[in-house]
Amino acid sequence: MNTYEKFRKMMDNHIMLSFKGEITSDIITMVLQIMETRLDSVSEKGSVKKKIFNVLVECMQNLYHHSEAEEPGDINTRRAMLELFYDDEYYYILTGNYIKKDAIPPLRDRIDRVNSLSKEELRSYYRQILDNNIISDKGGADLGMIDMARKSGQKLFYDFHEATDTLSFFELRVKVAKKKPKK
Amino acid sequence: MDNLIIDGTRQTPEINFDSETGILKLEGRSIPENTFEFFTPVLNWLDEYANSAPGKTIAKINLEYFNTSSSKYILEILKKLKVLLNDGKEVLVEWYYEEDDEEMMETGEDYEDVSGLPFKIISFEEE
Repeated sequence: MNTYEKFRKMMDNHIMLSFKGEITSDIITMVLQIMETRLDSVSEKGSVKKKIFNVLVECMQNLYHHSEAEEPGDINTRRAMLELFYDDEYYYILTGNYIKKDAIPPLRDRIDRVNSLSKEELRSYYRQILDNNIISDKGGADLGMIDMARKSGQKLFYDFHEATDTLSFFELRVKVAKKKPKK
Repeated sequence: MDNLIIDGTRQTPEINFDSETGILKLEGRSIPENTFEFFTPVLNWLDEYANSAPGKTIAKINLEYFNTSSSKYILEILKKLKVLLNDGKEVLVEWYYEEDDEEMMETGEDYEDVSGLPFKIISFEEE
């Protein structure tokens, strides 16, 4: 694929932002700044913009706190990916990061549980976790997935890709509807 | 005691807690990676405030965005205020949200429910 074809492909796939590398505090700030400007320029309604922004904040916190290094012990290899794109109906926030294989079952359970709940059930689950959980050093304490499901109003799509003997590549895809659903 | 004044940044909220008037303002966005670092002095200030608080405390919370690790600390702040209420002092939380931001309104209701504090949930027009 030549460079122009690559460019056309990015255009056709409506990629707003694509990143691969270590998620640092500076990168998070920069990405949020870029996306704020970009979402303003496509004049999305305030509420849609806020939902996307909220999900993006949470996704990047996850990458920041939970990415494992590709080469065990070498923190310079905590590589992750982040991509934002859209189609006619939705905006998509796609992330990928390495996790230890033994982290798969609890993570799968957590997302499946969130996906099984209705809007009202999610809300009471959120209240319950907010009230009961102690603050972990990584901050999130399980609220992240619940929050993303609530804010996006959509099920969370995930997958685990075989990477190395000990690592799996965790893919998370959150979508946000472009227009407010009619009531 | 001193007031607690912290300037807002792109990642952290502006804080203006006045120990004499009992007006505690928390505004802006709270999306830092290390929430512990930011909120620990805030919680410590509230512990001290509890010893000398005036008869009435009004917390004015007007947040545009906050991450889930901040949400725990916001609840911790409210729990500190609950102690004042239990001591027989008057406490009111004014929770502000932009009128189209239903999630922020619902979050206010969630905090009202979980904290057991009197809330006033107030919408304002988008700028």
